Amino acid sequence: MNALHASLLDTPALAVALTLAAYLGGVSLFERMGRPSWCPAVLIGALFTAAGLWLLRYDFADYQRNVAWLTLLLGPATVALAVPLYQQRQHIFALWKPILCCLPLAAGLAAFYAVLIAWLLGAPPAVLASLAPKSVTAPLAMGIIEQIGGSLSLMLGGLLITGVLTTIFVSLLGRVLNITDRRLLGFALGVNGHAIGIVRAFELGPTAGAFASLGMSLTGIFTAVFLPLAWRLVA
Amino acid sequence: MMLLRGFLWLLGFQLLGHAVVELLSLPISHAMAGLLLLLAWLLVNRRLNESVATASQALLPLLAMLIMPGVVGVFFVFDEFAGHWTAIMLALVIGTFLSVLTTLWLMRRFMPSEAGSPHERDRRP
Repeated sequence: MNALHASLLDTPALAVALTLAAYLGGVSLFERMGRPSWCPAVLIGALFTAAGLWLLRYDFADYQRNVAWLTLLLGPATVALAVPLYQQRQHIFALWKPILCCLPLAAGLAAFYAVLIAWLLGAPPAVLASLAPKSVTAPLAMGIIEQIGGSLSLMLGGLLITGVLTTIFVSLLGRVLNITDRRLLGFALGVNGHAIGIVRAFELGPTAGAFASLGMSLTGIFTAVFLPLAWRLVA
Repeated sequence: MMLLRGFLWLLGFQLLGHAVVELLSLPISHAMAGLLLLLAWLLVNRRLNESVATASQALLPLLAMLIMPGVVGVFFVFDEFAGHWTAIMLALVIGTFLSVLTTLWLMRRFMPSEAGSPHERDRRP
């Protein structure tokens, strides 16, 4: 029995099956809860995975090693992000001026504010590096973490929290500042709240959704290109 | 076959990105370089290859599932970052509040008004 348990834990098939089952379970519970914006499906799936690991007495490091067979797909999936960006090129060409004025500043400050606050509160460099890509879409943020160091898990946790907070703050501040332009609200959702912001933006309408995707892609690319460079100069 | 051909294209760009990053020792990830190279290639060609479109349509919806194993790690780092959670939460909450405020303010300042743009206003749901 023990030998069977050990050999099952040793095969990538179990790690992949556990991941797929937990993800599908997470998505279905998410749908049943009425798609709450405060609790992304991937978070529910991660809870199910953690519960599965605990039940199976599966060491997290072993799980990570075996599930790498599946997450290998993250590479080509990240490259594939070029396709939606290419399809949005007419938005970019039409609005290159405001985008050029706002995007570098907005994306830069999204990273800067959080790092500054954490630094003032005495957080160590590993925490600062994990917080810096907090507004970048997860696959690109994982590439940034490879470059600047920091904890992958802490970074992804911060990313989810940032996405949820963004949907709350954009609704709140949009009302306070009396902004009704769907392009602005969508862009702010995508720049700050990556994929979670996009989901919220599509609830506001297709224009908001398109601008959110645009904001997310450009923020991701800008941050992935310049953050490691800036980090090298400062550190 | 279309899917496989597209998948091979994406892997090819990822490997090309890998080679460029390593040769020039650039501070970006291999996949990110692959993304930029594919984007440049699409912009130069001005045409989206059907197989690349098929493969990206198949892969992009999987992104959330592919990052999930990393998210699971959050539940295993509570002790590692004990003592820093207040700083982390304050940085996330205040930092996100400030960056949303800045983005909205900047965009309102620089974005031409909706009437002057070619985009139609969304109908209210």
